[in-house]
Amino acid sequence: MTELRNSECGLRNALSRNPKRAGVTASRQSPIPIPQSAFRNPRWLLVCIIILGAVTMIAPYVWLVVNSMKTVEDFTSHPYSMWPRPINFGAYVRAFALGRIGIYLRNSLFYAMVITGLQLFLDSMAAYAFARMKFRGRDAVFGALLATMMLPRAVTLIPVYLIIVKLGLADTRLGVMLPGFAGAFGIFMLRQFFLNIPADLEDAARIDGCSTFGIYARIILPLAKPALTTLGLFLFIGAWSDFVWPLVVLTDWDLYPITVGIASFRNEAWIYWNSVFAGSVIASLPLICLTLVAQRYIIGGISLSGMKG
Amino acid sequence: MALIGTFSLIAIGYSLWISLHRYDVLAVHNQFVGLANYRDALGDEVFLKSLVNTSYYVVMAVPSIMCGALILALLADKAGRGGPVVKVVYFIPSITPTVVVSLLWLWLLRDDGAVNQVLGFVGIRGPNWLQDPHSAMPAIVIVATWQAVGYYMIIFMAGLADIPKMYYDAAKIDGAGALGRFWHVTIPLLRNTFVFVTAMLIIGSYQVFTQVYIMTNGGPQNATEVVQAQVFRNAFQYVGKMGYAAAMAWILFGIIAFFIAIQMKFMRSRKLYD
Repeated sequence: MTELRNSECGLRNALSRNPKRAGVTASRQSPIPIPQSAFRNPRWLLVCIIILGAVTMIAPYVWLVVNSMKTVEDFTSHPYSMWPRPINFGAYVRAFALGRIGIYLRNSLFYAMVITGLQLFLDSMAAYAFARMKFRGRDAVFGALLATMMLPRAVTLIPVYLIIVKLGLADTRLGVMLPGFAGAFGIFMLRQFFLNIPADLEDAARIDGCSTFGIYARIILPLAKPALTTLGLFLFIGAWSDFVWPLVVLTDWDLYPITVGIASFRNEAWIYWNSVFAGSVIASLPLICLTLVAQRYIIGGISLSGMKG
Repeated sequence: MALIGTFSLIAIGYSLWISLHRYDVLAVHNQFVGLANYRDALGDEVFLKSLVNTSYYVVMAVPSIMCGALILALLADKAGRGGPVVKVVYFIPSITPTVVVSLLWLWLLRDDGAVNQVLGFVGIRGPNWLQDPHSAMPAIVIVATWQAVGYYMIIFMAGLADIPKMYYDAAKIDGAGALGRFWHVTIPLLRNTFVFVTAMLIIGSYQVFTQVYIMTNGGPQNATEVVQAQVFRNAFQYVGKMGYAAAMAWILFGIIAFFIAIQMKFMRSRKLYD
């Protein structure tokens, strides 16, 4: 009985497989000419689509820059003309004078640099401990750390805010930066990298009398330079672009980073929209320059993070 | 040794500290209210509306970012010498601060804005994007897609680069056309990338906030009020509602965890195939 059923299945399989094969060979023998040729020489179509996409990506920036160079009158009367008449940098002057962009810029630079530096330092130490040192509960702690990466920002925002308030750090520079001093993603990424460094190197150094900290500082860190550079760039971009946390923790505009700064400038000086645009140009320029200079690290880092999935 | 120990402990302790304190959020509310906050949230019309809106956003944004990114990746893959330039150009929006992107598109999406002018050029009368309850959320999806597509394009390109060329050659010999090769070779072999990208996008999209906060602030008629904005408002703009906001945040987490759990299961069962 079972044998019969099996053979029946086999037959059905063979039957169901056959038409498929027949279909494939048939389509090979009689190719439909039009789509085939379109697929064979799609060069011009491809180029057109790519350029169209690139224009969609770039045009808004052009509009932004053009409008930041218009006078207020020119902007209010022709906000969509693509040529400023006359070219005028008043919007930038006003962004600094009225919009306090200079202060915000300095704050952003300070926050992003301190966060990046300290987080690289602490993450790399923690990652080294997770990768090489054996202590009780290590894997459990690491698992917990990874689990925090899945938590939405909404969940962590409130407790972190309460902690900062209890520490008396609300509305201070330290309060803005403290939650950024260590990050699960950075520890995870660096640990993966450290695990790939051969342990023989460290054994050799230890025999030569190097301390654990010496190994970390003289062997691991120099070898991990590419990973540290990539992570550092990510951290800098992330810290610079962050909006929600400084918005929550700060009320004193003297401490605002540029993201919160231009958003609040919009509320108080809506007449000077072109100055808001000037501020936007100033806010995005450092990151765009950074990307152009270090695209190899940034794009490589993103590709790597995708492969892990 | 002690130094590393201390520093790593600070880092670990700090993370743990946060994770432990998450449980104390309701206790901060001085008076213990049990699950009342959750019950209130699930009976709150605005919150339920924000849940629906956020899901609507996710349902639109996740596929459009994913398809857009995949198409761009396939195109950029074929761009030859122009490849690196194309990559950077498509990538620039994703490293622009979201605040800047939102302020910029706030203007482009006005009734007489650049988007509608371009649409008018092709003969389409565009809606008043951000002021019309029907088009406000799609408008935010457009902006989010514009911003995120380049980032995921790079992830897809990494996935594409991982597919061995011989599979394509084999498919070609078997007579598969370009479309057939795409459908039967590229898509199945990109499975890991798809799983990763979907997870990232679902987690990220459910937390949409900045674009909404700047471009519509929940309006018109609460059509773009999202969960994260509700959490923000209740925690930091209204008085004495922090426990309530925390309950909302946990409900949001529950939804995200639910989707990720489904996806994990899906991924595991799919792995049995190969």
